[in-house]
Amino acid sequence: MAVKDTLRARWFWYSILCVVLWGPFMIASKLGSREIPAPTMQFLFTIGSLPILAGLVSVTRFRLEKNVRGIAYGTAAGILAGLGGVGLFAAYGTGGSTTVITAVSSLYPMVTVVLAVLILREHLTWVHVTGLVFAAVALILFSL
Amino acid sequence: MHIAPWFWFTLVVLGFWGACGILQKLSTNHISAASALIWLVVGYILLLPLLYPGKVLFHYSMQNIIWGLLSGFLSTLGSCGLYAALKSGGKASIVVPISAMYPLVVVVLAPLLLHESITLVQGCGVACALVAVALLST
Repeated sequence: MAVKDTLRARWFWYSILCVVLWGPFMIASKLGSREIPAPTMQFLFTIGSLPILAGLVSVTRFRLEKNVRGIAYGTAAGILAGLGGVGLFAAYGTGGSTTVITAVSSLYPMVTVVLAVLILREHLTWVHVTGLVFAAVALILFSL
Repeated sequence: MHIAPWFWFTLVVLGFWGACGILQKLSTNHISAASALIWLVVGYILLLPLLYPGKVLFHYSMQNIIWGLLSGFLSTLGSCGLYAALKSGGKASIVVPISAMYPLVVVVLAPLLLHESITLVQGCGVACALVAVALLST
């Protein structure tokens, strides 16, 4: 019954849509990075994201929230995500395995969890500690 | 011990995207997830003057330029899917770990489209990474 409900839920299919789009995002990134340098790939990436930005702004009917802190944190997040993107395209550009690079780069919540403890004074749960152990094992295996 | 160059670049990704996660968290304490996504893209735009390659851009093949544009389009559209899932009643503790499973799609697509294969040790690493991401995203 629970599975049936989940399969009928809109949120579940939106989540799957996300997975289905982010997988090919990585493949497209790899294909472009074979010829184009990482900073230029990030430049093109940003241009490619503009139609979605236009769609989002029009969906909100141009009524943007004006909380300065929210805007500052959100924009700073974009700058860091963009710089991380340059790193991702550079990694793909080295010719390393797409699967492995994608798997390692997907471990970024590990850093978020650690920073959340250090900066936001959040508490580590046992689930997170187990996750960190698996992440460490993964990184060791990839570095062999 | 020799560590491949890609490994160092992915550590850069982990650092920046990990810190980005904290800022996104702080951002959504003050504004909606959809607005946070809008300002995230504005952050990308602020980097454009630093990244602008000049006329050399037109020397690359159109096919690869399209791959670059498509990567931004798919990534941002995927982010919309994530925010739509959260907005339509999905719990973050379930939706975020599901969305973090995108490397599985790459595991399937990379051998088919890029004719790449991975070693057994790397396969074990991918499995551990997927478990780690699922646990860390809750």
